[in-house]
Amino acid sequence: MPKSQNIDPKEVRKPQFLEFGKIPVNQYNKSIDEEKDSFSTDDFVRIYHDMVIIREFETMLNLIKTKNEYKGIPYNHPGPAHLSIGQEASAVGMAYNLDIDDFIFGSHRSHGEILAKGLSAINKLDEDVLYSIMKNYFGGSALKVVEKGFAGPMKELAKHFLLYGALAEIFARENGFNKGLGGSMHAFFTPFGIYPNNAIVGGSGDISVGAALYKKINRKPGIVVCNIGDASMGCGPVWEGISFATMDQYNTLWDGEYKGGLPLIFNFMNNLYGMGGQTMGETMGYGILARIGAGVNPEMMHAERVDGYNPLAVIDAFRRKKEILNEKNGPVLLDTLTYRISGHSPSDASSYRSKEEVEAWQKEDSIIAYGNTLTASGIAKQEQLDEIRDEAGELLTHILKLAVSDEISPRLDLQKDPDVIGTMMFSNQSADKMEERDPEVLIPLEDVPRVMSFKNKERFFKDKEGKPVSKARLFQLRDGIFEAIIDRFYKDPTLAAWGEENRDWGGAFAVYRGLTEALPYHRLFNSPISEGAIVGTAIGYGMCGGRVIAEIMYCDFLGRSGDEVFNQLPKWQAMSGNIIKMPVVIRVSVGSKYGAQHSQDWSSLVAHIPGLKVVFPATPYDAKGLMNSALQGTDPVIFFESQRLYDTGEMFQNSGVPEGYYEIPLGEPDIKRSGEDLTILTIGATLYNAIKSADILVRDYGIRAEIIDARSLVPFNYMPVIESVKKTGKIVLASDASARGSFLKEMAQTITEIAFDYLDAPPVVVGSRNWIIPAHEMENAFFPQPEWILDAVHEKIMPLKGHVCKSDFTSAKSLKLNKEGV
Amino acid sequence: MAIPVIMPRQGQSVETCIITKWFRQKGDTVKSGDLLFSYETDKAAFDVESPSDGTILEIFYGNGAEVPVLVNVALIGNAGEKTDQITTQLSGESIPPEINHQSFETLVQETSVLQADAADETREMKIRISPRAKRYAEKKGLNFYGIRGSGPNGRIICSDIENAVSPTEGKMDQVDVPGDEFTEQPLSNVRKLIARTMHVSLQNSAQLTHHMSADVRNILEARRKIKEGLKNGSEKQDITLNDMICLCVIKAIKKFPEVNAHFFDDRIKMFNKVHLGIAVDTPRGLMVPSVKNADDMDLQTLSRELKSSAEACKKGNINPELIKSTAASFTVSNLGNYGVEMFTPVVNLPQTAILGVCTIINRPADLGNSTFGFVPYIGLSLTYDHRAIDGGPATLFLREIKEQIEKFSH
Repeated sequence: MPKSQNIDPKEVRKPQFLEFGKIPVNQYNKSIDEEKDSFSTDDFVRIYHDMVIIREFETMLNLIKTKNEYKGIPYNHPGPAHLSIGQEASAVGMAYNLDIDDFIFGSHRSHGEILAKGLSAINKLDEDVLYSIMKNYFGGSALKVVEKGFAGPMKELAKHFLLYGALAEIFARENGFNKGLGGSMHAFFTPFGIYPNNAIVGGSGDISVGAALYKKINRKPGIVVCNIGDASMGCGPVWEGISFATMDQYNTLWDGEYKGGLPLIFNFMNNLYGMGGQTMGETMGYGILARIGAGVNPEMMHAERVDGYNPLAVIDAFRRKKEILNEKNGPVLLDTLTYRISGHSPSDASSYRSKEEVEAWQKEDSIIAYGNTLTASGIAKQEQLDEIRDEAGELLTHILKLAVSDEISPRLDLQKDPDVIGTMMFSNQSADKMEERDPEVLIPLEDVPRVMSFKNKERFFKDKEGKPVSKARLFQLRDGIFEAIIDRFYKDPTLAAWGEENRDWGGAFAVYRGLTEALPYHRLFNSPISEGAIVGTAIGYGMCGGRVIAEIMYCDFLGRSGDEVFNQLPKWQAMSGNIIKMPVVIRVSVGSKYGAQHSQDWSSLVAHIPGLKVVFPATPYDAKGLMNSALQGTDPVIFFESQRLYDTGEMFQNSGVPEGYYEIPLGEPDIKRSGEDLTILTIGATLYNAIKSADILVRDYGIRAEIIDARSLVPFNYMPVIESVKKTGKIVLASDASARGSFLKEMAQTITEIAFDYLDAPPVVVGSRNWIIPAHEMENAFFPQPEWILDAVHEKIMPLKGHVCKSDFTSAKSLKLNKEGV
Repeated sequence: MAIPVIMPRQGQSVETCIITKWFRQKGDTVKSGDLLFSYETDKAAFDVESPSDGTILEIFYGNGAEVPVLVNVALIGNAGEKTDQITTQLSGESIPPEINHQSFETLVQETSVLQADAADETREMKIRISPRAKRYAEKKGLNFYGIRGSGPNGRIICSDIENAVSPTEGKMDQVDVPGDEFTEQPLSNVRKLIARTMHVSLQNSAQLTHHMSADVRNILEARRKIKEGLKNGSEKQDITLNDMICLCVIKAIKKFPEVNAHFFDDRIKMFNKVHLGIAVDTPRGLMVPSVKNADDMDLQTLSRELKSSAEACKKGNINPELIKSTAASFTVSNLGNYGVEMFTPVVNLPQTAILGVCTIINRPADLGNSTFGFVPYIGLSLTYDHRAIDGGPATLFLREIKEQIEKFSH
């Protein structure tokens, strides 16, 4: 809570009633003649045309899926196709008023939205720009296909390009918008403002908020539309996204031109079903979805239900809502009522709805109804409309032929280059800043009080006389992280950081102390307690081109951002075909002292997920160097910190932590102490207990242990470890993670595989117990202790003369514990 | 032209569907959209409507039939239309799953053979040794059988091999002596090997030696006859005293299988055949070639084999497999030629015993009838590993050799 705002008990304790205003439901009632002022004949017909194209596209896919044939072209598509037959008016109406700079995000059912936004963009773009976009996209590979033998206007060519790029993507062809790596549920094309669809229901609910933040924080033109389904209203991340998007601080605390609401429309494509669950009447309780807006903020999110079966009603709504956003009064909640005639997927037997219901909606078919309106009002003749439908069929036949041909549209050749997808998992770039302009700061770097205080700090843990430095004078690990972060804030204008207690508090563990004085609100702010949205918004911010640090206060809260960390953050670089980058650092603090839900080391969980870089420094020098690298890169990095080490000084670099900028490459382990007889590889804070055990080993048994700090989990260069094992023949791996399934086991297996002939004993993992973490007073029975390492060496590697084991590392015990599951 | 009605594919995982009910019969006229039949997948039930107006010309599958997806189920067309051309052929592209059972079985068989092989090898090699220690031992040419492992579960670890190779390493003080008083030569590989093997043998087993003598009057008489026969042509091959002693040893071994064995920490491997090792002095040092299946040989054959092995060793072209300590099941070392009266040969581990054959000495003996005279006796020194063999059986074995020598006849 910022000190600038006082909460007056007299005020908040006053009795009062909350009152809600009216939420319009299907209030559009203009006649077509009234609309003639706003639309030309061409516009009216184009709306019809765009709806027909989407209908034909989806119908074609439906036939391919159910009959393996469309108009005599046989094809088998084993992948997904969640079709939106019936929802065309909503898609076209949504996209009609959007500019190129306006971004849309989607769901698993977004073919229609992609095509609608694409057609809208083609209509608005200058022909030269349009051609340049097509020509420069993946070297013009898709353009070459549709250009061959084409004679016609540029915009018609672009239409071919759009349909072919989307369809080739759905069929996993390399000419697809994302090299075939996204597919039906993830296809997107950023040059037209089409941002990722999302196969996870509600996945765009917080990512799109991040995109809106990107526009707001970096003063980029345009709005963001989050197209998600009505059933996603039941998803936590969607509510978190809404909370994040409607924070008071945009109006109360953000300054000057940054003041005001987010340019974002949550557009619920409300087809009344979530797969087979009826959201109205069965699985949700809002009755009419737009009602939700009333509870969120005093503006009631400008919520409205609009008739999504009438394209003109939707266009009208978006025009009005866009004005609200331009006046910085967003975000907006739109309940676009529509209906999906097609099944959830082609295997949908529609057992959850009656034939009568479907037929009733078919009678109201938006394309037929709109067509009738056009003919009745004399805007178009029936023959003209029929011709549009025939042409759509012919065009889709042509595009389908191109897309299904293995010669014209091959897939990525994984035989020829089996590692090609691997090359796309990370962008691996080095960039000082994501954009060229001056970063906005409040005071010069050298005037930041905390930066000034560093002048009086000792950057090594002992002074010149060899005496330990007091905590007050010590340059600590938290200072190392801070130094890297503030340096980047003064280099990269796009860098923003958010999370819980990030601003005035300085972060729960004082890493950010001093940043508040240096940075304006829009670059450092407190988030709601919404870990899902904290990460989700960072993803949206990153994929639009900004660099961001999001903080999860405790590692244990990572579970709250599970979908974002596991399904979103690691996937989008590769699923985009490397079109987008993801310069997102997630700071995760591993606790201690606070028991079972505040002390877990979950580094193994994220290391398991392909597409994330994972680091866990244990010294101030490493923390600063690795944070510098993480912030210089363009890939998602999960940056683990240990609360046991925040106040640790540098003990290994004799010259202390350098004041200037330096990078430690991600993935390089570091030998913290050399030895000949035994290797100890640690992750995280266990380094210090390993050192204690090494001291005992050399003192009591003459065994000189080599201690290697992994520093990174992904990527990881095994060579220094292998070289060490070649020398010593023995290795103990230790970390605070529960031993079962920990990353140490992965490392032990890899080391065994590579250095088997050099091993004098199996690699031995010393991890935490497979329990709940007990209270601080009992923690020593849970986390690896120096004696545990000695016991493990004695029991499993080589006998230590006279050593008496305190813990049981025998195979019998291991078998028993495994059998019991603990 | 008749239109086929296909079984739609409902979802990628669906391969067949079951027709639950036909609502129309063959010959019925139908309109587009009329309900034709219902069917179900493993997940859900569906209806199929007529794709066009016409007459049902053919129904290929009736109620309850399980029909592959995309196969023609029925035909609709004009009454009386010819339909021979259209059958239940697959419509469009479809890939039936192919499972090559034959190759799978072969694969299983091959795998089990491999596993059996591996299991056999495990039975042979129950010694516990770390990969690093094994590698190091091989590099140093050290036989690690019999080395006591100090690691967990008795596993031989690298330091055990290091101790076996140079137990005093670092303890011997180097004393500088003025020049000319000695020359230093680097050890040859054979020398190194012998040094280690012998040392390891004494360090890692419980060896002791029994001495006994055997009356060789019979055997010397046999030898004399052979020499005579060579002169007059009745014998074609010279037979040495050693050949004859070896034959006696082989005969004795057949009665005492425990000496024809390899000893490991947890088991003894007893051989059915006698593979006789014979110590041979060569310019490069001591070698012990093995004569395989020596118990199958008559005296002449044995003699020839012993001779050719010894020559091969001297020439240096012996098969290396035959000079491994594991190649022989028992070894004879004959120092009789050099006048050695008794000695304590060193067991060639993992073998359990070695017989030293000494020189012949005339000893006073009771010739009967209170007449004493000198009788030639050959000295026999049996070293055995007490871990494997107790003193009683060892003595009995040695006495059996003595008796075989004393009753030797040719």
